Amino acid sequence: MCGIVGYNGGRAALPILSQGLQNLEYRGYDSAGVALADGDIEVYKRSGEVAELLAALPDDATQRRGIGHTRWSTHGPPTDANAHPHTDCTGQVAVVHNGIVENYDELKAELRGDGHSFTSDTDTEVVPHLIEAALEDGAEPREAVRSAVGRLEGSFAVVASIAGVDALFATRQDSPLVIGHGEDGQFVASDVTAFLGHTREVTYLEDGDFAVIDRDGVTIARGGETVVPDRERLEWEADAAEKGGYDHYMLKEIHEQPAALRQTLSGRLDPDAGTVDLDLSLPEEYVGSLEEVQFVAAGTSNYAARYAAKLIEDLADVRATVEIASEYEFDGGRDPWRTLVVAVTQSGETADTLAAIRKAKRAGARTLAVTNTLGSTVTREVDDSLFIRAGPEIGVAATKTFCSQVATTTMLAVALGRQRGTLSSDRASAVLESLRGLPGGVQQILDRTGEVEEVALELADSDAFFFVGRWLAHPVALEGALKLKEISYDHAEGFAAGELKHGPLALVTAETPVLAVLTEGARAEATLNNVKEVQAREAPVVGVTSGERGGRFVDVEWSVPAAGVLEPLLANVYWQLFAYYVAESKGRSIDKPRNLAKSVTVE
Amino acid sequence: MTDAPTAVILAAGEGRRLAPLTHRRPKPMLPIANRPLLEHVLEAVVAAGIQRVVLVVGYERTRIQTYFGDGDDWGVDVEYAVQEAQLGSGHALLQAESTVDAPFLVLNGDRIIDPTVIEAARRTLTEGDRTATMTVTRSAEPSRYGVVTLEGNRVVDVVEKPVGEPPSELINAGVYGFRQGIFDLLRETGRSPSGEHELTAALEPLLADGGVRARRYDGRWLDVSHLWDLLSVTGAVLDEAGGHAAGQIADGSSVSSSADVAPSAAVAENTTIGRGVTVGENALIGSNAVLERTVVFRDATVHPGAVLRDCIVGANATIGPNATVSGGDATVIVEGEVHEGVELGGVVGDNARVGGGAVLEPGAVIHDDATVGEGAVARGTIEQGTTVRRG
Repeated sequence: MCGIVGYNGGRAALPILSQGLQNLEYRGYDSAGVALADGDIEVYKRSGEVAELLAALPDDATQRRGIGHTRWSTHGPPTDANAHPHTDCTGQVAVVHNGIVENYDELKAELRGDGHSFTSDTDTEVVPHLIEAALEDGAEPREAVRSAVGRLEGSFAVVASIAGVDALFATRQDSPLVIGHGEDGQFVASDVTAFLGHTREVTYLEDGDFAVIDRDGVTIARGGETVVPDRERLEWEADAAEKGGYDHYMLKEIHEQPAALRQTLSGRLDPDAGTVDLDLSLPEEYVGSLEEVQFVAAGTSNYAARYAAKLIEDLADVRATVEIASEYEFDGGRDPWRTLVVAVTQSGETADTLAAIRKAKRAGARTLAVTNTLGSTVTREVDDSLFIRAGPEIGVAATKTFCSQVATTTMLAVALGRQRGTLSSDRASAVLESLRGLPGGVQQILDRTGEVEEVALELADSDAFFFVGRWLAHPVALEGALKLKEISYDHAEGFAAGELKHGPLALVTAETPVLAVLTEGARAEATLNNVKEVQAREAPVVGVTSGERGGRFVDVEWSVPAAGVLEPLLANVYWQLFAYYVAESKGRSIDKPRNLAKSVTVE
Repeated sequence: MTDAPTAVILAAGEGRRLAPLTHRRPKPMLPIANRPLLEHVLEAVVAAGIQRVVLVVGYERTRIQTYFGDGDDWGVDVEYAVQEAQLGSGHALLQAESTVDAPFLVLNGDRIIDPTVIEAARRTLTEGDRTATMTVTRSAEPSRYGVVTLEGNRVVDVVEKPVGEPPSELINAGVYGFRQGIFDLLRETGRSPSGEHELTAALEPLLADGGVRARRYDGRWLDVSHLWDLLSVTGAVLDEAGGHAAGQIADGSSVSSSADVAPSAAVAENTTIGRGVTVGENALIGSNAVLERTVVFRDATVHPGAVLRDCIVGANATIGPNATVSGGDATVIVEGEVHEGVELGGVVGDNARVGGGAVLEPGAVIHDDATVGEGAVARGTIEQGTTVRRG
């Protein structure tokens, strides 16, 4: 999981690559480097954040071609030597790579046997040496790169540059790469954010594509033929990503939730009629005969899927399950013709989720993606896509996209329920009215930020934090704990409230706050019993309540407005603010927590 | 690069006279024709060729920051300076000192103006070496503002809200051009009797020796001082620019060309959206409702059959079925001052609820989170979080 950027054109490459790497830093940031090419190759690389590399770069450089990389370690620790780009023995071939070369041990042994020497612990370094070997054997540059990547097994996106050759070479297998067509040069990157400031005309590469990137154009070899690349025009703003007066993107994105939700819902609801329009092409008969909706997702998206699955069982009367994407197999006697497999992924590039959706396709199941990213890999793999329209999210800790994922999949639950005839129009109207009330409900919680900050400061130094909830609030408990551990590095766990007494209660002391959801959709009455259990052990209890549900039993009460089955989602906004202010009080690197990256493109 | 000056826009104030609408948002974020007041100002600034804007923010500043971000959507660089405590316009401007290093413009973030007044102030920045330029405009009610006396093109006197006959009809239009010297003047100026640090007070030492140049302006100058101004200014802007009937609008509904419905709003069937009406993002207007000269904030719900005239419906507020706000002249008391004969049917604060069949008497102001019960009649001020019951 790393970020790649490359440029070949009429302008100086260095500032373009530096800016690209800064924009890509969310993909990984334990080391970074660039290689500038003309008749020779100059490499600069450093362990640490991109800022450390920038400090080591020359003020200006004349080369008009180059590649850059920001890395998140898989093979070998983050050191200067292990940073990309990697070069061959002659220093004339430079390569950046995202993914994993599975057969690198044997390739390395073979190359060593032929006299090549290696300077890093990475799997990547075999690639420039393979290219060097092919060049030595007399291959043309293009063929040399093609034959080298032809020897690789695993998942990869590779961009190579050779001294004296006025082109970049790019290819992908299970790792994203996108070409940008500029007026004054061509770009290639893992993600469009790397070059959005320069062009919005893009071509997404497909697995197995081999692209030759010249100054004034790109040719792509696909399945033995040369194809003219399809161009798409992107609509996202280049630097919608700036912080706009907030200290962190995360806080900005928490505050953007009402606006993001209005976009998520816009034009899709008809609360009066109890219908939603999601522009999906699921055939009536297929939906009616469904036996299972199976979600595959990782991390926060997995928790959003759990919320959705519970609602789908309730509203659409069909079995709904959630699999951790990296654990997924299509098995267990399912009928692929009667199983809808739904991938939930913010970026649309999550490797584990892509692998899972491919397994489902191979098994013959129909697939649907719920994602934030138009044109992402997952949208090209599935039968239908449903966009959450949350806008760009830069903070590594997902906030507004969780909220929009749950809102979107709630609409899906209503659509399925209505199509299957299992959901009355009255109940559908009530759920849709709750959905329409979400933006205003979230805003009411944001208006109380100050109260959350106070409590967060008071509890910040606790030994551990336990989040509990039932039914729809169980995934919210898991998400609340995940958010806190991601950004504050504190020990936090989420539990189904009823599970406390089966073990975790042993951990509860006066120094471990318990954060409970006591709203509609959360079986508040039952959870109150668990709250009393922990209070007997002197744990401070923070409760999110609605209506008259149990405020008098908690030490700190935060309320949410009436929102039916979406009240636990509103409670989650309190948990987001709580996590933010705990982490902020400890001076954590909130937007870029240690060891984590936003879009996880390795398995 | 261009040599366009930076514009500093003062947007840190609360706007207490506009309560309850300013309990949760600063005055510059009040919607006029479905866009914040401040957005109208920013658009005039951009139209005048300015490329960098510093917003001085303070009270409820996250609302402004979340909306404007880095200014990309307006094609301008927006940066922020924070005024932690609201100690007046002079103090607010001081917070921006480190963000400007050349002659610059200053504007109020809550007055709707045309780009020409900004262009006028801008031209003087490069002329002569005077410290300050003040734009002046004619007003029918000069005593509500800073009344200006001119000699030639020099400002010789500024009196804030004079009592009795005002010395002229000219007022300070609130768009200035300044050089760096203004910051020293601001630091040297004491606070006013009310404890505030006013921008115009800092100009006094310059008035005597002709240091403040005047530029006349006779274009649009719209101020929202009181709740009822929100309705008249909305009407003026819609009459001039027209509205857009975006959003989901059901059959049988009519939307006036002087009304604006936001793209994500929905209007059910047989509804009448008359002149001077705006319907905010994600708001829902139920069937058979009749709205005239009414501002509906975002996320609000107006249930079927409600009749709203001269009415303001706050964000996420709910108006029950067949509720009536009949509008007309009212007497309203704002911060101890009695205003007679103002056109204000009623105000429903953020998240407040008006029950089915309830009636608001002219001038009723329902504060945030308050409830008017089914069939109840509300008059005067209903305090935050309280409930008015029938009978």
